[in-house]
Amino acid sequence: MPAETMQAWAGQDRALSALEEALTASSADQVEIFVAARTGEHTRFAGERVHQPQTIIECQVMVRAVAGTGSARVAVSSLRAARDAVIAASELARRRNGQGDTVPGNTVPGDTVLVDTVPAGGLPHGVAGYAGIAAPAGLWHEATLAFDAGARSALAGRIMDFARSADGVAAGVLTAAVTELAVVTTGGQRCYAAATEAGFSVTARAGEASSYVADLGRDASQLGVEERAAAAISQAAATSKVIAVPDGVHDVVFGGLATGELIGFLPDFGFTAPALAAGIGLVATRPDAVLAPPDITVADDATAGAGLPFPFDFEGTPKDRVELISAGRVGRPVSDLASAAATGGRSTGHAHIARESSPAPEAANLIMMPGGVSEAELIGGVERGLYIQRLWYNRLVDAEAGTVVGTSRDGCFLIEDGKLTAGLKTGRFTESVLGALARTDGIGSQLISQPVPNVWNGCSSAPAIRVRGFRFGSRQGKD
Amino acid sequence: MSERVPELRTPESGAEELGDAHRWGELAGGLTAADPLLAAAVGTAAEGGASYADVRLSETEELRLYAVSGLAPDERIEGSLGLGVRVLVDGVWGFASRPLRDSGDAAAAARDALRNAQAAAVGSRERVTLPPRAAECGFYQTTAAVDPFAVDAAARERVVADALAAAAAMAGVVRVQAGVNAKRSHRYFASTEGSRQEQHFVESGGMVLAIAAGDQIVQRRSYPNSFHGNTAAAGWEYVAGLRLTEQAARVGAEAVQLLSAPVVDSGTADIIIGPAQLALQIHESTGHALELDRILGDEANFAGRSFIGPDAVGQLRYGSPAVNVVADATVPGTRGSFMFDDEGTRTRRTMLITEGMISNFLSSRDSAARIGAESTAAARSDGWGFLPLCFATNVFLEPGTCTTDELLDRMGNGYYLDDNRSWSIDSQRLNFQFGTEVAWEVRNGKRGRLVRDFSYGGITPQFWGSFEASAGPAEFATFGMPCGKGEPKEWGFLSHGAAPSLFRNVRIGVA
Repeated sequence: MPAETMQAWAGQDRALSALEEALTASSADQVEIFVAARTGEHTRFAGERVHQPQTIIECQVMVRAVAGTGSARVAVSSLRAARDAVIAASELARRRNGQGDTVPGNTVPGDTVLVDTVPAGGLPHGVAGYAGIAAPAGLWHEATLAFDAGARSALAGRIMDFARSADGVAAGVLTAAVTELAVVTTGGQRCYAAATEAGFSVTARAGEASSYVADLGRDASQLGVEERAAAAISQAAATSKVIAVPDGVHDVVFGGLATGELIGFLPDFGFTAPALAAGIGLVATRPDAVLAPPDITVADDATAGAGLPFPFDFEGTPKDRVELISAGRVGRPVSDLASAAATGGRSTGHAHIARESSPAPEAANLIMMPGGVSEAELIGGVERGLYIQRLWYNRLVDAEAGTVVGTSRDGCFLIEDGKLTAGLKTGRFTESVLGALARTDGIGSQLISQPVPNVWNGCSSAPAIRVRGFRFGSRQGKD
Repeated sequence: MSERVPELRTPESGAEELGDAHRWGELAGGLTAADPLLAAAVGTAAEGGASYADVRLSETEELRLYAVSGLAPDERIEGSLGLGVRVLVDGVWGFASRPLRDSGDAAAAARDALRNAQAAAVGSRERVTLPPRAAECGFYQTTAAVDPFAVDAAARERVVADALAAAAAMAGVVRVQAGVNAKRSHRYFASTEGSRQEQHFVESGGMVLAIAAGDQIVQRRSYPNSFHGNTAAAGWEYVAGLRLTEQAARVGAEAVQLLSAPVVDSGTADIIIGPAQLALQIHESTGHALELDRILGDEANFAGRSFIGPDAVGQLRYGSPAVNVVADATVPGTRGSFMFDDEGTRTRRTMLITEGMISNFLSSRDSAARIGAESTAAARSDGWGFLPLCFATNVFLEPGTCTTDELLDRMGNGYYLDDNRSWSIDSQRLNFQFGTEVAWEVRNGKRGRLVRDFSYGGITPQFWGSFEASAGPAEFATFGMPCGKGEPKEWGFLSHGAAPSLFRNVRIGVA
């Protein structure tokens, strides 16, 4: 059975025409509809087999209708049911009219003039929308489509073979995907974008030693999967000694993935419009305060080239670059239409609807701006300390202090005289992310990206950083 | 669209047995109506060379009404209809899933799964041999006294608005979230072994979360659990029984009280852990540690491994002789209640830990076959879209015989704690640290003042080795929760239960 080239599940013309047709069934004052679809192909492997080769196609058509002060959402999993969803949402919204106060509508402030950006004849997968929605460069890559099941399985086999030849074992996942989002509203928005996505992660073990590598982006050809997996396997295999993480305060070089985990907590510290409205968190209580050295800027930026750029959100709002930490100072919050209205601002294009939670704005494309030195140079600047590639089960303890609890995991090493000299077992930390950023004295030049779970098109991208003084061990120091 | 989905609404075989709460949607028609799609999937897989294939055809609808103070309430109903096909070709698995647009999707998904298996053969040295199994057929439905989808919208709205107002009434509360939720699903399963299964589920739930803020301090309290509230396999009667308004007032007041509560010093102490926090402790340190796919290395890249080895049954002491943990999806009323797991294995009560010793695993057909054992019906998946993986089902710490008051007396001095605030455990499920929303000092067997930012930590077998006793069945409670696992990450919906339980000499104040 020959391989088939991965395609967009909905497609631009089909998605937009289906949504526009469905919109005509509305009996509400305002309606917005989006379709979010994703065709994901995943090749999971472990030990001696590709144990979970998968193709998962997901599609959600969600309608939000507003009637007076009533609003409701109805979602279905097929475009063929979009019209029914519009009718149902309109009916629900009308029934809810009169309950509660005013409901934010769905008109994106600003430009409302239709500008068809699709060339004559249309692109099979492109970006269509309004002026103000600029397509980030490089959403679509043929190299990612060529990273098909056959290519991924053969690569998984070579990675496992290489690990075996190094007396080790490898496990990982290789992914290629196509993501689509189309939004049509009675307020006049009409936009569609499709993007490819490629990612991988590999955990290598050799005896007690381990290493880990992962990355994510739109273009599979830029990931260098095989070389980086081989390097991780070689690193684990070359580690002859593995010791416990010494309790105490260390100079720590966090690799890009670990840094990405840490900065992923920033939105929880008050960088959302609902937190600002409640008077909670840094933006509300310490606006413009100095948090970190001036070379530290962390933005939510879906327009940048790194990670998983995307031009607009579920409400059809163009995605703004929002600097949470701007040259070391407290920056701005992310918002959606409702929370922007509540705080008197404009939506920054961060609408998000989490499963089993209230809709709330979400920073979905975090990027920490890179510095100018290599990771090796950061490590070289540590006399005795730790190199941490991967963190695990990190959870917020105290949003005010920025305290997070978590553990190190695969691929962590002792640094002695600027060199990695021994592997490290798992170590526990309870530390302030804000404190760590404040004590950062070196920023690497290479961004590494990873998915943010449970967030649509969620991604964080970060460089390695060197933190002077990061405590491993519990408060009692007995872990 | 080339073709519409076959008419599936007409109740036929089996459908007459459906309770009122299950008579909805496109898949209410029973196995006879669903069978053309099921047959197309497994038939295409078999014709394409699969030695084994199964298909899950599922329709789900979720209703959520959430309100956050200061914002308009948000009500949503999310529907989903699709299927997932799994094949085994020459000892290599393949899987594919897709939403159901037309009748051709069943065969299309099967072809995608076949392609994946054939491609994966290139990279696989190790092949799977699945022990043959006789066809297993059956019908299951949740008992729901009051269909939560039939409840008047105004009644739903009132419950949420009242809870919101009650929690927000206390000065110092700056933000409240309240909500109710319901879910219903039809799930059909068929395999090339001849199995044909039909299960229909209904869930209902509710939640309230109050956040209080003072000068540079924020505290939270939630009810009935800090993980999205609590959800049960039941009708609206479950929501009514939560008494959300009354409890919302309590958690709002407690959130404010916590702002001025003291912090406990680091050290060791005896503690009684309440059911909600203990449910998470069981989830993280017991359930996950006993997942056989993890133990065998399948999850080494993401969810991690386990300190428990595949040869641990009857050999490894997990905790004190008082520890008895059971997996029992036959217990009704929870998110982990079902008759067949997601690869068609009929569930049964399985002791996982007996008098402190490991006695079984949470396993699937694939993982069990690799150690020469039988599946314990723990292959669970997130709807139709994802592969079944080893997840917990209903995993309970069996209750004891005394009361909480008797436990407090027995403890004398220590702390009573409940409701999770933060959780962390390493990738071997060994070294953990939890924070709780709330704790009370206990002196001379009596609960005293509140303390804030309580935390405790330990090493799994040592911690469970310090377990002394649980309160009895009257104080036993279950909590439904979602769990993330797999790549791509999927959610398993499951349940854990416990009664308040006494642990000795636990490290506290670790965060």
